[in-house]
Amino acid sequence: MKQPLLLLRKDLLVLRRSPLLLGVLVAYPLVIALLIGLTAAYANAKPRVALVDLDGIPPRVTVAGQTFDVDALIDQVAKNVELVRMGEGEAAQQLAAGRVAAVITVPAGFVADLKALVASPHLTLATGTGGITPRVRQQMQALVYNLNLHLQKAFIQADIRYVDLLLHGGKGVVLGHSFSIIGLDGAARLLARLPPSPERAQIEDFVHDARLALALTDNAIRATAAPIALDEERGRGRTSALSAQVQSYGLAITISFLGLLLAAGSLAAERDENVIGRLVRGLVGLGRIVAAKVALAVAVSLALALAVLLAFGIAVEAGGVAGGEPWQRVPLVLAGVVLAGAAVGAAGALIGGLAREPRTASLVAVLAVLPVVFLGLVPREIVPAAYWVSDAFPFAHSARFFASSLYDRSPWGVVGREAAWLAGLGAAFFALARLSARRLVV
Amino acid sequence: MRYLVAAHGVGRRFGEHVALEPVDVAVAAGEVLALVGPNGAGKSTLLAILAGALPPSSGRIELGDGVRVGWMPQRPAHYGRLSARQNLELFARLEGVGGAEALLGRLELPDDDRPAATLSVGNRQRIDLAISLLGDPEVLLLDEPTAALDARQRRRLWETARAVRDGGGAVVLVTQNVEDLEHVADRVAVLLDGRLVFDGPVADYLRSEAAGALA
Repeated sequence: MKQPLLLLRKDLLVLRRSPLLLGVLVAYPLVIALLIGLTAAYANAKPRVALVDLDGIPPRVTVAGQTFDVDALIDQVAKNVELVRMGEGEAAQQLAAGRVAAVITVPAGFVADLKALVASPHLTLATGTGGITPRVRQQMQALVYNLNLHLQKAFIQADIRYVDLLLHGGKGVVLGHSFSIIGLDGAARLLARLPPSPERAQIEDFVHDARLALALTDNAIRATAAPIALDEERGRGRTSALSAQVQSYGLAITISFLGLLLAAGSLAAERDENVIGRLVRGLVGLGRIVAAKVALAVAVSLALALAVLLAFGIAVEAGGVAGGEPWQRVPLVLAGVVLAGAAVGAAGALIGGLAREPRTASLVAVLAVLPVVFLGLVPREIVPAAYWVSDAFPFAHSARFFASSLYDRSPWGVVGREAAWLAGLGAAFFALARLSARRLVV
Repeated sequence: MRYLVAAHGVGRRFGEHVALEPVDVAVAAGEVLALVGPNGAGKSTLLAILAGALPPSSGRIELGDGVRVGWMPQRPAHYGRLSARQNLELFARLEGVGGAEALLGRLELPDDDRPAATLSVGNRQRIDLAISLLGDPEVLLLDEPTAALDARQRRRLWETARAVRDGGGAVVLVTQNVEDLEHVADRVAVLLDGRLVFDGPVADYLRSEAAGALA
């Protein structure tokens, strides 16, 4: 293996003597990784949903004795969607055109039904057919859940007021009818004025038990209305710019871009510099030349990955954020970098052999790497076919390998599976690259 | 007569294009063979096949036992971003031989950090000549080696070729230059449209119709 190492040394020397090229090669994938991080953040932005109000909801609505500012309430509950009021026809047209992701319609009589509480009023949700539909559906369910939560609180407050009346007496209104009751406290006072008798004693016992039971009603009503409560603790994880996902994508993109471009360009350059003839006449076989290009991709990937890991690790330590085990897992990540770099390098060598000429090889490598990366970023739930196609390229496997090896408590299952994928893909691409390299000689 | 390298029925096609019809050519120890012919006649193709850099479509190459072959292609064949020294040291290591330092001085190559691509055509041609001389080859294959050389460097190249011949080696020289024939060649082979149309002593060639046609 002396000759491939000599060629690797030569390629590294050539890179060192091309500082501008090296700078661009290092900066470009990092910029792309950052942009993808921002795009991912954009993907989490609120989808636009049309709100069609056929009921003519007034600005303020009183339900169960509590008055709601409707717009403020919508702002409060629609945290994950952007609700835009529009007419029924316009909403249908915008849904068809894809300008809104869904239409939620408030039917006529909605507020009246809500106040009467005889039957639950209904909202209607119309969605499109795009990949975002499941997400919009979940967010609208969350919106209705949040609305119900606010209304529920109002109803519970009303119920508790009635219980309070039963306990202590006073004046109240039910369905527009005013009334006045003495309550259990009043009943106890009246009973005390009566002469003692077994019947009075029985009634006093009942009043005592009823007062005790009703005193517990407040918490009981709240507990049965919401058996499970969710408390949110903020600020415990990483910010999105330092997230595990961004770091693993950053690594995978850097390796994919550099490995593919360098291996493709440097293999084709052997022919462009008219050196391939010298090499294959007994000095270095084609297989070893391809191996040298794979080694180049691995060497540069390792150097860059180490730099990225250090940068993230220092940022995480400096920020004092929790989560992940970046330092302890660095050796495992670097093992993945070797596998990913080799697989990507072999794919790059295949491009270099097919293109035969460095400018074409570099262009094809750049054109190939972006779709492969974006294919690997499409979630399985959105487009399953894209997920399966991305399995044929090293990017998605390397991203999963890095994410798991950096942040999973027990990464061995995922790491083992993805390592096997990378090794298999690397072997397949290497065999194809060895065949394509014959085109460089003839 | 001991042949150091011989082509037996060697031909080469590039797709549908026939670059070289099957030819038989052999070079003996102590001989300088000049390959002449117009552009596109197949001279460089035959030389690359003799060097083992290009596989023939038909025929075979026979090389004497343990014979080292040095090859200098027509176009620069070294790494443009590396310096002359870096190129020589790299190819010496790949060949597993020494002598890079000595060749650098002997051929008066620039020994600085400038990338080879920035050097003059003549200097680049001498880098290729130096690479072809690594390991003291018995057979030297030179493709138009004097095309970009000045008169002094041309004389030094002729001396180099004669030294290989006089040392019991052989030289195959592709050239368009009659001076090369007169100063260094013993035999001439003429290729025309990929066919070998003449193979004989220089004096016979210079009197032949082939020479007149190529003049």
